[in-house]
Amino acid sequence: MKFKPMLKFIGRRFLFLLLTYIVATTIVFILPRAIPGNPLSQLLSNLSRVAQANPESIRAAERVLLEEFGTDKPVMVQYVNFISKALRGDLGISITYYPRKVIDLIIPVIPWTLVLLLPATLTAWWLGNKLGAIAGYRRNTWVDKWVLTSSMILSQIPYYWLGMIFIYLFGVKLGWLPVQGAYSQGTIPSFSLSFIIDVLKHYIMPFASIVLSAMGGWAIGMRVMIVYELGSDYALFSEYLGMEDKRIFKYAYRNSLLPQITGLALSLGGALGGALITEIVFNYPGTGYLLFKGLTTLDYPMIQGIFVILIASIYLANFVVDFVYALIDPRIRLGQEE
Amino acid sequence: MRRFGTFFLLLVVLSLTMAAVTLPREETVYVAGALWGPATTWNLYAAQSTWGTDQFLYLPAFQYDLGRDAWIPVIAEKYEFVNSTTLRIYIRKEAKWSDGRDITSEDFMYTFQLTKELGIGPGAGWDNYIESINRVGAKVVEFKAKTKPLNYFQFLSYALGAQPMPKHVYEGLKAKKINIGDWVNDKPSEQVVSGPYKLYFYAPDLVVYQRIDNWWGKSIFGLPKPKYIAHVIYKDNPTATLAIERGDVDWAGLFIPSVWEMWQKKNLPVGTWYKSKPYFLPDGVGFVYLNNTKPGLSDPEVRKAIAYAIPYDDMLEKAYFGYGSQAHPSFVIDLFEPNKQHINYDLWKKTFGTADGRPDYNLDKAKKILDDAGYKVGKDGIRVGPDGKKLSYTISVPYGWTDWMMMCELIAKSLKQIGIEVITEFPDFSVWADRMTKGTFDMIISWSVGPSFDHPFNIYRFVLDKRLSAPVGEVTWAGDWERYDNDEIAKLLDTAVSTLDPAVRKNAYFRIQEIIARDMPSIPAFYTAHWYEYSTKYWVNWPNQDKPYWFRPAPWHADTWPVLFGISSAKNPQPVPKWLETVDNGGLSIPTSKIFKDLQSAKK
Repeated sequence: MKFKPMLKFIGRRFLFLLLTYIVATTIVFILPRAIPGNPLSQLLSNLSRVAQANPESIRAAERVLLEEFGTDKPVMVQYVNFISKALRGDLGISITYYPRKVIDLIIPVIPWTLVLLLPATLTAWWLGNKLGAIAGYRRNTWVDKWVLTSSMILSQIPYYWLGMIFIYLFGVKLGWLPVQGAYSQGTIPSFSLSFIIDVLKHYIMPFASIVLSAMGGWAIGMRVMIVYELGSDYALFSEYLGMEDKRIFKYAYRNSLLPQITGLALSLGGALGGALITEIVFNYPGTGYLLFKGLTTLDYPMIQGIFVILIASIYLANFVVDFVYALIDPRIRLGQEE
Repeated sequence: MRRFGTFFLLLVVLSLTMAAVTLPREETVYVAGALWGPATTWNLYAAQSTWGTDQFLYLPAFQYDLGRDAWIPVIAEKYEFVNSTTLRIYIRKEAKWSDGRDITSEDFMYTFQLTKELGIGPGAGWDNYIESINRVGAKVVEFKAKTKPLNYFQFLSYALGAQPMPKHVYEGLKAKKINIGDWVNDKPSEQVVSGPYKLYFYAPDLVVYQRIDNWWGKSIFGLPKPKYIAHVIYKDNPTATLAIERGDVDWAGLFIPSVWEMWQKKNLPVGTWYKSKPYFLPDGVGFVYLNNTKPGLSDPEVRKAIAYAIPYDDMLEKAYFGYGSQAHPSFVIDLFEPNKQHINYDLWKKTFGTADGRPDYNLDKAKKILDDAGYKVGKDGIRVGPDGKKLSYTISVPYGWTDWMMMCELIAKSLKQIGIEVITEFPDFSVWADRMTKGTFDMIISWSVGPSFDHPFNIYRFVLDKRLSAPVGEVTWAGDWERYDNDEIAKLLDTAVSTLDPAVRKNAYFRIQEIIARDMPSIPAFYTAHWYEYSTKYWVNWPNQDKPYWFRPAPWHADTWPVLFGISSAKNPQPVPKWLETVDNGGLSIPTSKIFKDLQSAKK
């Protein structure tokens, strides 16, 4: 009885996601091509500098490259080519890092992005909600004022700016923490305690800058929600019944979390964008730098490849959140029954 | 839960037994500024290889030495001219691939064949100048020059500079049906190289090369001093600059604003080629290209007026930190003494009326030229040509090239004063490059070519040879971006390279300069800098003005490898190796003049 509507719900969501995914990848295909410029120019200019002694050789190289990338073909042909290859898991060859495969360039950096993004986003969400709830519960006390003001300020600070302040303060001025990279220069990644400690040291600042700037928004949202829930009929009724304050708070907190979970799913995209910029600020070897390079050099396959993977992972996370949501809130799956 | 605990404990114990692998700092040269993104391939048949492949992994038969204008026999032992169009190269008997196989004439032949087949690779374009490459013996290879057209410079540069690739490796790839252009060659154990280094390790932010301690050339050249060369991939210039300040980087090729502050103000052990202005060696000629197909700019008088109205000194001082000097209008890089013989000084002194023939910044003269040519100042202060068209243009460089962006602003401001409206535009690189190569720009600042053994032929060809051009709207990277159209130049260029008589060549160059003075197709504005910085914290004996043993010292330059033989550890300084000297001074290097003499005395 209970299982079927759930399945139906998930099925619908999945179909919807698939559709939006196709739309999203199409946009990703079109947008970089809307930027004027020749994607092969960076590569050809590098070649022309190397081949200064024999300018004729550039022509042959250009022919080879045009054949390889087909950027002179009609856009529709390129599109069909891209989609059919992408469906087979072939993201093509990067132009900027020709002849490396896009997938080979992305795979080594994806873990760094995920390791930075996921824990930071979840920590920010958890911490922000806790703080916001406490502030809402103790409305108009010094705790509330303190949390509200600092959240207001923090939530308005862009990730990268906070990152730069950190670098200046803790890296350059105080010299406590390394300013860039994911591990010390000249270290070769290995599975050892010293390496892990080294990585953690480099992790603190980018992690903290994401957590701090994302946390404020959650706290503000949660505070309002708690205030609203505490003023609702069931909370008042429980209060009149003489229920313990702590218990009422617990109920209110649970109910307030529901919209925050939806918010989490929605914010993943934004969080990703922020993490990418943070990576660039800290010279963290994630997808951010690769994407940045791809965009500035019009490396179509690289831009497409990164987005195809990133959008897929955001959708996957969204899907998981939806699933969790349906699990914890019976109204959702019951609502699908008709 | 217990199982998890055990696993965790095991993990901790395991990780304790393994120490992190760190490169020994005192045996490693850290590099910055030659790589700005993840490594690509270590295969020279790919459209682009990772920095280091061309520099340290595969050496040429002879290495050109710009400072001494000579050729060091590297893989080759000597050469011999069979006749005036046939060159034999004798390969050293010691020369071996890193897997122990001999480097043979077959490797040379195969390398060129494969390049021709793929269109990309070492010596690309050779078949325009070389008729055939033949085996004379296992260690002797013979190059025959094409006689139509005959180009001695290109012939010698392809033949002497030939970079052999291991035939057995590429044949193996072909047998396995691997697409050679896509081959990455990133497994250190499988790399077969001729140079003293090979790949050790790479990650998205790091590339490390390790010295081959039993390298075949050890008995002739010794070993390069650093055991490891590590290039850290920094996200941008400021981060890399900070690293050199902190002593994390030993060898760099970066544009650093006010570089002198490093040693003058901050007392850091950092240096560049010169201790004072211009700090850097010249790398090439920066041009203000004027599109010869645009109304107004198609008039030589307008172009001449512009030559007077470019604020050369201001541009170099304010935008370039004094890192260069005004270029000579002959296009010849006159900072190197031997190049001066190519300059028709009488002509240039007469043309511009200055001591060495460089145009001075003179707005009155510029205005007068425009007035005389019939360009009248309109109500808005902008001149209108006899054809009724306004002299209104754009000047552009890629966004982010801050030094050149500022130059554009200065030029625009100055040209405004003589009645030419110029609007600055800073699009993304690819957009800018598209305009440049398609010839749709009005004015741009861009590079040309640098000093080399065929200078000034190389620069005349690059800037003026219409055979490298393409119609407006079609992309050409090869040269003649301003779309200058002159058949006489092409003929003169052919004359200059097909003769062995220095007088004939000189006459051709002088005639080309007369044409330049008459037409002023574009304006050579300044010498670009050869970005090169070093730190003496861990490594000393870097080439510089006091120890000028190598003139292409930047880590990103293809000819840079001898630097690694010249430097030594700060703890154990060694003299610079003798073999870098010319034969007359007890070294190995053969002066270009001797090669040409041998060529002249060869049978016809």
